[in-house]
Amino acid sequence: MATTSIYIEAFAHYAADMRVPRTLITPHPMGRPVGAPGDAARQRQAVEAALALIHDADAPGFSRELPGSYR
Amino acid sequence: MLFAHGFYAGGMSDSAEPDVTTETLAELGSSFSYGSRTDLTFKFLARFEADEVGEVVRRVFEYTGALFDDPDPGELVDYVRTIQAEGYHRRQVNERYRYDDGPFTAPTKPLSESTVALVTSSGHFLDGDDPRPFGVDAMTQREAVERIGDFLKEAPTLSEIPIAAIADEIRVRHGGYDIRGSLADHNVSLPIDRLRELEADGEIGAVHPVAYSFVGAAAQTRLVKTTAPEWADRLAASDIDVVLLVPV
Repeated sequence: MATTSIYIEAFAHYAADMRVPRTLITPHPMGRPVGAPGDAARQRQAVEAALALIHDADAPGFSRELPGSYR
Repeated sequence: MLFAHGFYAGGMSDSAEPDVTTETLAELGSSFSYGSRTDLTFKFLARFEADEVGEVVRRVFEYTGALFDDPDPGELVDYVRTIQAEGYHRRQVNERYRYDDGPFTAPTKPLSESTVALVTSSGHFLDGDDPRPFGVDAMTQREAVERIGDFLKEAPTLSEIPIAAIADEIRVRHGGYDIRGSLADHNVSLPIDRLRELEADGEIGAVHPVAYSFVGAAAQTRLVKTTAPEWADRLAASDIDVVLLVPV
């Protein structure tokens, strides 16, 4: 199984320390890593970006920041 | 009750109310982290110096005052989010969870042909399938916050949530974070609706029929050495190609 993950910016250093295989870093507040309540477009953008890392990453510790903002 | 001492879902007992006539800024900052004013959105303030707590209060007031004339909360939200991240970046590195290398599994097929499973530490569970922490029936969010120390000593339960579940069937409880967003829309931390859309649009082959959620505030060593490996074996035995992990 290949894994990918969504971390908020506040926790991104944990992912780096643990050499998590693939990390999408979102500029979102704690408790809402995928996006704001009711913001389906932003949530989908985050999930799509995290899944894109499955083929884009080539080594553990690969991370990418999600562009845009929470609100 | 203009000056009622209150907080959202998780205040400690009334006897823990601070003596506001002598409270310092440092004490104020610490009071949000499982203290007299528990508010998990602001618990990071416990890591700030007194003068920094004062500056955060001033800035929050400033941005709040601006809302009278411009109702866009963007600046206030972005400020709190940024300062929250700053607070967590100050946490000391835990060498036990710092590795020089990590596992890496390459994909074997395109996403459009892959089955994707979801695992989140959000604390969601299905109505009627409450994990009943410590044998307690219908534990409230406030009780979970008050017992955070107990959660950190116990192995977590992995709850199964059918991806076809609707919002009314999904519950959430987690003593470690502000669950209001997850209560309002489970997709903020349990994005099953978004995964189903991606499946319908052909971007992924299929969604694994069950999503998994647990309370991440649990016995960490046991989670790393025993619990999580058991869960990984369980997932590996299923027809799953990709796992989306959402730590909350």
